[in-house]
Amino acid sequence: MSRWGYFARRLLLAVPVVLFGVTITFAIIRLGPLDPVAAILGPNTPPSQYARVEEQLGLNRPLWGQYIEYMVGLFTFDLGNSYVIQENTKAMTLIVQHAPRTLWLGFWSVLIPLFIGIPLGFYAGLNPNTMGDYFASFGGIIWRAMPNFWLGVIFYSVLSQSGTYSEMLTFGLVNFQWDAWLVTNNIGTPPPLNFYNSNGTDLFTIGGTTISLFSFDWEVFVRAVKMVLPPAIVLGSASMGNEMRLGRTAVLETINSKYVETARAKGLSRQKIVWKHVFRNALIPLVPIILNEAFLLIGGSVIMETIFAINGIGYLFFQAAINGDMPLVGSLMYIFILIIVFMNIFQDFLYTIIDPRVGYE
Amino acid sequence: MSEATQNRTFFGRIAANPTPALIWIGGALLLLAVEFGAFVDALILFGEQINPLVGGSQDIGGWYVDTMYDSLGFAGGTVMSALGALLVLAVFSVFVKAAFVPFSIVETLGLEDLPISADLLERSIVGAVLAVLWLILLYEPLAFLPALPLIGEPTFAQLIHGFAQTMAGIADWIVANIPTLLSRDLIPNQGFLPPEGAAAEYPAGSEILGARIAIGSYHGTFLGLSPAAAWAIRVVTIYLYAFVWLLWVWQGYKTFRRHYRFADWTPRDDMVDRLSTHRWGQFGFVIVFLFLVLAMFAPAMGPTTTTQNIYNPYGHEFQYVENGQVETITHGSANLQSASQGTPDSNVGVMNYDDYGRFHPIGTLSERANGKDLFTFMADGARVSLFIGLLSIALSGFVATALAMVTAYYKGLADLLVVVTSDSIQALPGLLVYILLSVVFSSHPISNIYSGGFLLALIFAATGWPALWRAIRGPAFQVSEEEWIDAAKSYGQRPSATMRKHMLPYVAGYLLIYGSLTIGGIIISVAALSFLGLGVAPPTPEWGRAVNIGRPYVTTVSWHIATIPGLMVVFVVTGFNALGDGIRDAIDPQSEGSGSGEAAAAGGGG
Repeated sequence: MSRWGYFARRLLLAVPVVLFGVTITFAIIRLGPLDPVAAILGPNTPPSQYARVEEQLGLNRPLWGQYIEYMVGLFTFDLGNSYVIQENTKAMTLIVQHAPRTLWLGFWSVLIPLFIGIPLGFYAGLNPNTMGDYFASFGGIIWRAMPNFWLGVIFYSVLSQSGTYSEMLTFGLVNFQWDAWLVTNNIGTPPPLNFYNSNGTDLFTIGGTTISLFSFDWEVFVRAVKMVLPPAIVLGSASMGNEMRLGRTAVLETINSKYVETARAKGLSRQKIVWKHVFRNALIPLVPIILNEAFLLIGGSVIMETIFAINGIGYLFFQAAINGDMPLVGSLMYIFILIIVFMNIFQDFLYTIIDPRVGYE
Repeated sequence: MSEATQNRTFFGRIAANPTPALIWIGGALLLLAVEFGAFVDALILFGEQINPLVGGSQDIGGWYVDTMYDSLGFAGGTVMSALGALLVLAVFSVFVKAAFVPFSIVETLGLEDLPISADLLERSIVGAVLAVLWLILLYEPLAFLPALPLIGEPTFAQLIHGFAQTMAGIADWIVANIPTLLSRDLIPNQGFLPPEGAAAEYPAGSEILGARIAIGSYHGTFLGLSPAAAWAIRVVTIYLYAFVWLLWVWQGYKTFRRHYRFADWTPRDDMVDRLSTHRWGQFGFVIVFLFLVLAMFAPAMGPTTTTQNIYNPYGHEFQYVENGQVETITHGSANLQSASQGTPDSNVGVMNYDDYGRFHPIGTLSERANGKDLFTFMADGARVSLFIGLLSIALSGFVATALAMVTAYYKGLADLLVVVTSDSIQALPGLLVYILLSVVFSSHPISNIYSGGFLLALIFAATGWPALWRAIRGPAFQVSEEEWIDAAKSYGQRPSATMRKHMLPYVAGYLLIYGSLTIGGIIISVAALSFLGLGVAPPTPEWGRAVNIGRPYVTTVSWHIATIPGLMVVFVVTGFNALGDGIRDAIDPQSEGSGSGEAAAAGGGG
């Protein structure tokens, strides 16, 4: 089968997966014992008002009618109005409002593990059974087993008392204030994301014409990065451990393979072997792992956003779920399902490009 | 082993050479006897947890029927209700047949010649009997039989109820009257130093089987030792007891291997040998063992009981000394006064006594949790985590294995259907589905069973089987390509028999690997849910809730509340992962380093 035929099939298979996933969500929300009318009105409501709201929301119509309407709504991205969180606001508006902070958090929690986990894993693989290897491997295992919610709480508490702790550790020599370091910021507030302004305020003139470029506020940018770093490190902790372990085994496997032996036999320098033959081949098994983290990040962001008070979509989902805001929960689930399914297809696509030996099965 | 003994059955071989088996059984009975009271107590506890399941089954069934009628109209509702009832009956009849009917009904009744599969027929008979029993329990027709020569109006349900009560009475008597080695009655740790001049009124030590032996001067504690020492002695004894059991089980395996096994060598011997040199796996085993014993012996582990500490603190009193006077106070009031609130004045930390002379091995909780003892909380919480983990792994493992057998045997469409279904379930983001389902079912009768623990186990089973199925699909496919499967097919063996006899044994080992690798993830997820205030409902303890309670105090003197439970999660999860690694390397040494299992290991996703 050709590559494109394979992907046509993958895309075709994705349709029932998305449909079925959304149907499961619908079944949980509508068939489950959750009563959205009671969630809106609260307990002790007169039956007449109850019936009125029920009719208003269309919840008294036959279930299959609601199902078809729901599915059509989702696939035309008409996601309905929020019931409880912000009444009569479009669910899509709420999601667009909350998404940037979660994306910012997700971006860094993918990036940080990449630049810490993989080098550490490769180092351990290139120096197997040394003290450094044991230290890195064991550390990675423990680090990965740490529950995010607990690590988040510890990070949050220690950073908010960083002055006391740094003095304690250095016997009073250093007083390191995390919240005043580089730029000032509060711990436990959402990171500001207005460092980029596409309307442009920076004007400068070249040869008589005034050019307006987007403005970039470095201070706000540094603050945004600094504030997102602790939750991102915690959120990426599991990925970091995974990438480290797999990086180590991948390097060990490559370094013991025949072509590396050949390269060594023909007298290539160690540096060249490592960078040209080992490094590139060892990256192959890491590709699916890196993209798989999307699962972890989407789920884990709920907890990180709750602990660090970042009002992103994870936090929005949690609030919507515990308040019985069905349309919002349904739309968020739909978007998450889409992201995960297409991430999977993209991962396979990338995999076949990087490693042509992978079969189209 | 000689030719003659090889042709006997297992029991035949034991009958031929009974001494080693009798020695082993005698030792096991002795070990059981010293703990018989606790064993019966655990059965009572289990019954108490099962009770709402039985009582709630009517509610749950009613909810299902109502929902179906509401949403599908009369015809659809009737069809779906009938289908649901049939499904439940089918599941129960398979289970009851396998567990409680050791003989063949078909042969007993002489029905072998009927043109229908024997298994199906047997299950139908069991199902029919169950259906009749069920209807009797629901409608109680016996109540309408006036000729019944029994006193009063005993319905069938009442008869069963009466029987259960008698059994419970016997069990209660056993618990109350037969001494148990590892109980707080035999090794008590609650006591006080009698004030000057009252030493005669409050003699030192506790009564052990009628005798009073005292080394220290505390009143009421084991040998008059300090509460801390008495508690430590009890915990060490419990672990010693569990360790002796472990050795005895190992001894039993060796006895079986030496005297009663059919073959001199099996591949399993090599697995055991590989595991016995796998240090990392053994490290995991030790941690898992510590955790299991903590969970199993939770009622005797804590310095106080869960009833006194958590469920009914104001219904239990104890004595303490204040200003030279012996005073009495309820556990609840004393707990409130000994809460850890983050200031040195109001903090009971690790290895500390509170103002009432009670010992707290890892401190107390904060005022939000009424200052309960953290160790008792953690020990009981270990039970909850273990229950949810094991039950959900068992359920999802069962589903995954059954599906793997079917998909590997039939391939094609069956495989495609399961692929799409499992892909759809895996496309749902895990933690969000757990959150959603816990919220949706939070007021449903099913969430009353084990404070929602049962519901959580079901949720994790329903969302967890695709991953397990994915993991064992490959090995199952490999086995299905073997020649002996072809041979079995052409020989005319039934598919279910082929799957069970010729495919399952090769796949079961993989299930063990992935089961132990995923259980850590389940423990983390359960803790994460209770951290968010969902899942296991208070007051039933759960580790994640302790972290949430201790959140404001991490940087204060009351750091123990959040830190110790978190560290315990880390250790237990690492232990399960290491054990899984060990089992993997033992069962499938070629897979070492290929990394397929590593990705499945539990990460801190929650």
